[in-house]
Amino acid sequence: MPALLHRRLHTGRELIRRHADLPADPALSTASAAFDELLAGGLPRGRLVELVGRRSSGRFSVVLSALAGATLAGEGAALVDLGDGLDPQAAAAAGVVLERLLWVRPSHLKPALISAETLLTGGFALVVLDLGYPPVPGGRGTEAVWRRLARAARDRRSALLVASPYRVSGTAAAVVARAGGGRPLWRGGRRTPRLLEGLASHLELEKRRGAGPAAAGQPLTLAHPAAYTAPAAPPRRGEATGAPPLAERPGEECRLERLAEAG
Amino acid sequence: MPRLACLVVPLFPLAARLRSEPSLKQEAAAVLEGNGNAARVLAATRRARRGGVLPGMSLPQARALIPKLLTRGRDALCEGAARASLLEVAAGFSPRVEDAAEGVVFLEIDGLERHFPGPSPEHDLGHALTVAAGKAQLPVWVGIASSKLAARVAAEQPGSPTLIPDGSEAAFLAPLPLVRLSPAAEVVVSLRRWGIRSVGDLARLPANDVASRLGESGRELHQKARGIDPHPLVPHQPPPVFTEGLELEWPLVSIEPFLFVARAALERLGRRLEGRGLACVRLELALDLEPDGCHRRRLELPAPTREVKTLLTLLRLDLEKTPPGAPVCGFTLTAEPDRPVEAQLSLFGPAALSPGRLATTLARLFALLGSGRFGAPRPVDGHRPERSALVAYAPPPPPEVRPEPRRGHGLLQVRVLRPPLPIEVIADAGPPGDGPNGGGRPRELRQQAREDTARRPAIRGRVRVAAGPWNLEEGWWETENVERDYWDVELAGGGIYRIFRDRGSGEWFADGIYD
Repeated sequence: MPALLHRRLHTGRELIRRHADLPADPALSTASAAFDELLAGGLPRGRLVELVGRRSSGRFSVVLSALAGATLAGEGAALVDLGDGLDPQAAAAAGVVLERLLWVRPSHLKPALISAETLLTGGFALVVLDLGYPPVPGGRGTEAVWRRLARAARDRRSALLVASPYRVSGTAAAVVARAGGGRPLWRGGRRTPRLLEGLASHLELEKRRGAGPAAAGQPLTLAHPAAYTAPAAPPRRGEATGAPPLAERPGEECRLERLAEAG
Repeated sequence: MPRLACLVVPLFPLAARLRSEPSLKQEAAAVLEGNGNAARVLAATRRARRGGVLPGMSLPQARALIPKLLTRGRDALCEGAARASLLEVAAGFSPRVEDAAEGVVFLEIDGLERHFPGPSPEHDLGHALTVAAGKAQLPVWVGIASSKLAARVAAEQPGSPTLIPDGSEAAFLAPLPLVRLSPAAEVVVSLRRWGIRSVGDLARLPANDVASRLGESGRELHQKARGIDPHPLVPHQPPPVFTEGLELEWPLVSIEPFLFVARAALERLGRRLEGRGLACVRLELALDLEPDGCHRRRLELPAPTREVKTLLTLLRLDLEKTPPGAPVCGFTLTAEPDRPVEAQLSLFGPAALSPGRLATTLARLFALLGSGRFGAPRPVDGHRPERSALVAYAPPPPPEVRPEPRRGHGLLQVRVLRPPLPIEVIADAGPPGDGPNGGGRPRELRQQAREDTARRPAIRGRVRVAAGPWNLEEGWWETENVERDYWDVELAGGGIYRIFRDRGSGEWFADGIYD
């Protein structure tokens, strides 16, 4: 048999496996351009995606972006928040539609894992399991548990995002991304008041099961909510361009006044 | 056409009250609706009516006529009992009974003439109904006809019981005024303009012309005028009771054997509920105890479900929380039914969460975590970052068309530390009066060696950059006021934190990590 023909022939089992690996539904777009680029379009449905990041790496911001993307698209989303760190006001400001978000606040890893599986079988399009910071109450969970969660996500065609401070899901994860290199962006110096303006971080793809184009790394820049300005309309011809001065930014006036008072 | 009897209790709110307080019958008394001087007379006793008190009068008007008028408000319990009693009277004669309104009951009487062999069986039946209702302390008027409308109008005629022979409904109704058919106000105006005063006048008009001029309501009214009742008898069905139970051969002292038998009972309940398209919204458990006694408990579910596994888990948690305290020799499980929420699927938009599956999911989470641990987050007014609130999760329906993906603002988020984590801070001296470790610039953060902070994120290290302070004052008008000086700090070992110093106590806390 010619070698070319042999390469194109497959067994039935191989075809079934290939078909199962193909994403039938469109990926769930997140509201973060960098994360979408990294995942080649968004969170794949029916897969477990693990996002690893230490403190101040931008991991939680990416999690909220994913929730914002899903809820803005009208999908039901759930956050299993083991660290109990969600600020509803900030989440709403980030674009999360709070009415569509189910916030689950377990106090231990075991009920968190059971909650995540319950939510996946409940039909939520996106389930985010955030483990918070170490020490995670309950440890890492076993490989079998993560495989079980991945199977539940595959059966229901739901996207499962596990955000953890270290790798936990082992071989169950179809995609592993890492947020790291977080560097705070400070404004001001010795003579002017110092302000936290944002965070410059980096997203890297550690693992991606199956073929498909994807970016290996993406810069992630996050703006402090007080320093954020909505994108302005394109300038007219002849009009001066450039960032507005600090005192003209929303919410900055009172901040500067307080800093001046404090000396 | 089946023969129908109508029982009407005149002045039902008053009759229900007199049934409970017979002593009022001889007094000048009235039943009122409303409060204070806005209360209106609904019904009055004969003595009060003789004194001039009429329905619709205000209380001051009635008191001006009879200063010693006894008044009572409407009593839902009295009226409910009277209504149930009237239904029982009717059900004693016929199995097909309709509860039409307050104090109005219809019953089908076909075949009952065999029990009244006199010359006028229907007349005797009417008398028997009056006597039976009188024993239940309810005065009734009885009308018998071949349609509900004619029977009711007949019951309201003097000289109960009133009999309308089969086929003479139209002739009986013809001389009556139009208002007996309860027409719509705009239809009455049109008919008056046409010179139509009685039911017979309307019945003589051509049906098609009336329908073309007055529409659907006019067509229905014309049918009624001709003695044709469009509404058939709707038999009253008592609400189904979903109860399963078992008497045990040996008393049980541990929870596992009990749950084994309870599971089978719950499965039977689930099948019965499923057969009627219902789900359980409240589960009641009654345990018979050895040697005697009964232990009852009630489980409230966040959403209707009939999933056995969830109900069993809730049962287990509840029994573990409050054990009955004695061996169990029998039990009864009663499910309060409710209709599961239904939703319409979308062809082009994102798939909605199935209401039934969502209800089961919420019930499972409730069994796993308890109340107050899940729900939809709700913004709370205020400035304290750790504030939060949860409401019941009831997502709105998804959009009909899938929207285009939208980009977020790319905002840096703060992971809130709940409750704020106490830390030690080495800081510069602050303004005079703020104490030795006052509101100066933080230089170093240290973890407090306390039992409650052992399982929380460690925050320690030299401060590389600090920005602040920002003042937060809230609740100064309350006893628990908050006065904080906030700082954003970057530690040399990595990590950006939001810390604050409580101005009242001088203690430092970390309440968020920029992430």
